[in-house]
Amino acid sequence: MATRAATEISSSVPPLSAERQVTWPKRTKARLANGLEVVLAESHTVPKFHGELFLRSGNAASIQRGPGLAEMTATVLRTGTAKRPSRQIEEDLRRLGADLSSHAGADNSAVAFAGLSELAEPLLQLVNELAREAAFPEPEFERERRQKLEEVKLDRTQPGFLASERLRKVLFGSHPYAQVAPTEQQVASYKRDDLLSIYRDFYTPQNALLLMVGDFDSASMLETVEKVFGGWSGNKPAISPSPEPGKPRGRRVHLVHVPGAVQTQILAGCHAITRKHPDWIKLGLTNSLYGGAFNSRLVMNIREDKGYTYSPRSSVNPLREYGYFSVSAAVRNDVVAASLTEIFYELDKLRALPVPEPELADARNYVSGVFSLGLATQDGLLSQLATVALNDLPDDYLETYREKVRALTPPDLLATARKYFDSANMQIVVVGDRTQIEPQAALFGDLEVYDAQGKHLS
Amino acid sequence: MNIPIETTTLSNGLKVVVAPDITAPVVTVGVYYKIGFRLEPQGRSGFAHLFEHMMFQGSAHAPKMQHIKLINSSGGTLNGSTHYDVTNYFESVPSNALERVLWLEADRMRALKVDDENLRNQRDVVKEEVRVNVLNQPYGGFPWLDLPPVAFRNWANAHNFYGDFADLDAASLADVQSFFKTYYAPNNAVLLILGDVKPDEGLALAKKYFGDIPAGAPPPFADPREPEQTEERRGEVEEKFGTLPAMAIGYTAPPRRTSEWYAMTLLDQALHGGRAGRMYRQLVLEKQVAVEVDGGIDDVFGYNGPTQMVTKILHKPEYSSDATLAEFDSVIRDVQQNGISQDELDQLKVKFRSDYYSTLEGGRGGMPRYGLMHLLACFSLFDNEPQLVNSILDGFLTVRREDIQAVAKKYLRNDKRAIVFRRPPNTSAPPQVGAKEAA
Repeated sequence: MATRAATEISSSVPPLSAERQVTWPKRTKARLANGLEVVLAESHTVPKFHGELFLRSGNAASIQRGPGLAEMTATVLRTGTAKRPSRQIEEDLRRLGADLSSHAGADNSAVAFAGLSELAEPLLQLVNELAREAAFPEPEFERERRQKLEEVKLDRTQPGFLASERLRKVLFGSHPYAQVAPTEQQVASYKRDDLLSIYRDFYTPQNALLLMVGDFDSASMLETVEKVFGGWSGNKPAISPSPEPGKPRGRRVHLVHVPGAVQTQILAGCHAITRKHPDWIKLGLTNSLYGGAFNSRLVMNIREDKGYTYSPRSSVNPLREYGYFSVSAAVRNDVVAASLTEIFYELDKLRALPVPEPELADARNYVSGVFSLGLATQDGLLSQLATVALNDLPDDYLETYREKVRALTPPDLLATARKYFDSANMQIVVVGDRTQIEPQAALFGDLEVYDAQGKHLS
Repeated sequence: MNIPIETTTLSNGLKVVVAPDITAPVVTVGVYYKIGFRLEPQGRSGFAHLFEHMMFQGSAHAPKMQHIKLINSSGGTLNGSTHYDVTNYFESVPSNALERVLWLEADRMRALKVDDENLRNQRDVVKEEVRVNVLNQPYGGFPWLDLPPVAFRNWANAHNFYGDFADLDAASLADVQSFFKTYYAPNNAVLLILGDVKPDEGLALAKKYFGDIPAGAPPPFADPREPEQTEERRGEVEEKFGTLPAMAIGYTAPPRRTSEWYAMTLLDQALHGGRAGRMYRQLVLEKQVAVEVDGGIDDVFGYNGPTQMVTKILHKPEYSSDATLAEFDSVIRDVQQNGISQDELDQLKVKFRSDYYSTLEGGRGGMPRYGLMHLLACFSLFDNEPQLVNSILDGFLTVRREDIQAVAKKYLRNDKRAIVFRRPPNTSAPPQVGAKEAA
């Protein structure tokens, strides 16, 4: 079952030359009098900047009022302020050479923006207006609500969506993380007042973090930020605790039936950890070696050796309160069982045998090397800074990450795989045509069958 | 603009471009071959892309797996992609791995070493790629695979670029070696080195690793030109999974780097530039006929044959295709009759300049300088003028209102367009369009 032994590489491969120093740019951090946390970093690659205003509350925090309401609030946010109607907002953005998007995930809401350095202040003023004076005009809300209805119907035609929706339900049970998107009925019952109350509670400076990376002088940019956002006020929203997710025990199979599917989307997962956990870096490296890189065991096995799939991968998914590990592959219908066998074979192998040192050295180099690619672009750097700030990681996280990765040993990986690659309790989701795949799927555990609307079939 | 660039052409015809930038100790290397899916052999649809996969299957001194392993274990990422008129291979690595990357790219330019088992394996992988991106997805391949067979008459422009499975099955190892010999010669390629490298060092390394690869015969290229289109063309494709009826309307675009092309590109932005664009504004925000509208000229700097400006619309089932198309037509008519205002043109230019900077900086999955690499490559292979990267923006910033109105009148004509309707089976087709399927 293992992949064929790799051929020895040629001795003519040039060795790596001396490594050049990776220097992370200085971060300017500040907290304004109103509580707004600000992190700035300079990157002079092009005469532009990227920014993101995060609000530390998202769809999980809004679930009592209605699933997906934080996302809906973020969507309608850009359609009007006290000063500017929708059309003017869009034209002003174009006038500033700017892009802007507003969205909400499980843990945060955010307004992301990018624009020309020479026009930074007016763009910040518009962002400030959206954060403080959004008007949620009734007709705009009504249009976006009807749009959302069509979008949630469309989502249910996508195998990837159906798989992740089912896995999150299975892993998180009664916790808000279980619901990745609202139902049609839930969208139909959205009210403009719901959005206003979310907006009032979530969009406050004490709940906010402003990150900016780009071609500017940090000291004068900080002054601009103070000038633009200094008058914003509001308190941190109250947080109501969520119920603990019951961790599913025993390997089970959850089949989502899509009649006529010509391929099967596999997604298997189990509970893991958040980024704050001391084992996070170990788990990242273990995942990379398993299925997180092109040169990983899973990709080499089920793609490069067996040709079952184009796009196998595994990932560690850190949400703020909980994290999970998952592995996915879209495979030919007749190799669903064969693919799952290999997926578990590679997981169990990492749980049973220490990783050979040369293979581990390769994986360490990969994880530490690609980490510094983020340094080369403004939005790459922004996303690294966001990871640190949103997870309250230590200030030297970026500077020390690579040495932490490089210190890991085969026993570390063995222990990590045993702890977090919980193969006995993996929940297996398969999205496909049950008439073609049900007997194969049933080999791997008790089987439940659902339709694309989430209705339990058997 | 003044992006520093050093260029040379080696004695075997390989073009080399070095663009130094010390922002980070990272270097991006690309090799572009001037062959894409447009001019792949007839009877072998999808072959250029299948071949791209084969380039990762082994070369003379780096057997299967080793290419990927050597890049990943150097701390870098890699990929390749097949376009209409070029195929690229690229890596981003810490700069201490530069020589290793050049050695690998040179090794596979010199000699591919693959067997039947590699070909069988990648044929299976490619079929799953087509299923995951096209056959098992709502609106898969819409409209980039749906429109060409309706719009074009020359096989080069009209065939299935991802490949009919029968053609993929028919592809042989002999086809692989012959395609390699014909198109993957140094004189049909450009090597790009961007990032943490000194220009003289980059040029010297290019010569060291690629200089002794023998040149090939100049590759033959089929003629991609289209006969003059004189009538509107329509086609139908069944949507197997999606819930909404969809349509795509494509108009033939002017050739690259003509004055009409600059104007058409800004007109494209006026129509398709996000939520401020006229199409989205009218169809989604104001009339609320559509749920999604986007489009444009795909890869506007990187095509070298007939192409279209395409609008893609997913509309509400309660509106007929006719009613939706009528709204679309009214947007076109308005810009033809009234042009655009100076204020709108000014906005478009600021946004275009800003987007251009972003294109240069990033552009693909966190790969630094991918966009700059792509532009330098296309300007080298199609125009033999990589310095265009520093001057081409000026052509857009000098477009006038009357230029935009003129291209709207000349190019956005019904007899120069093709329309594909993609309908879920349970939404009814309007009577004047037959229920025949085009695919």
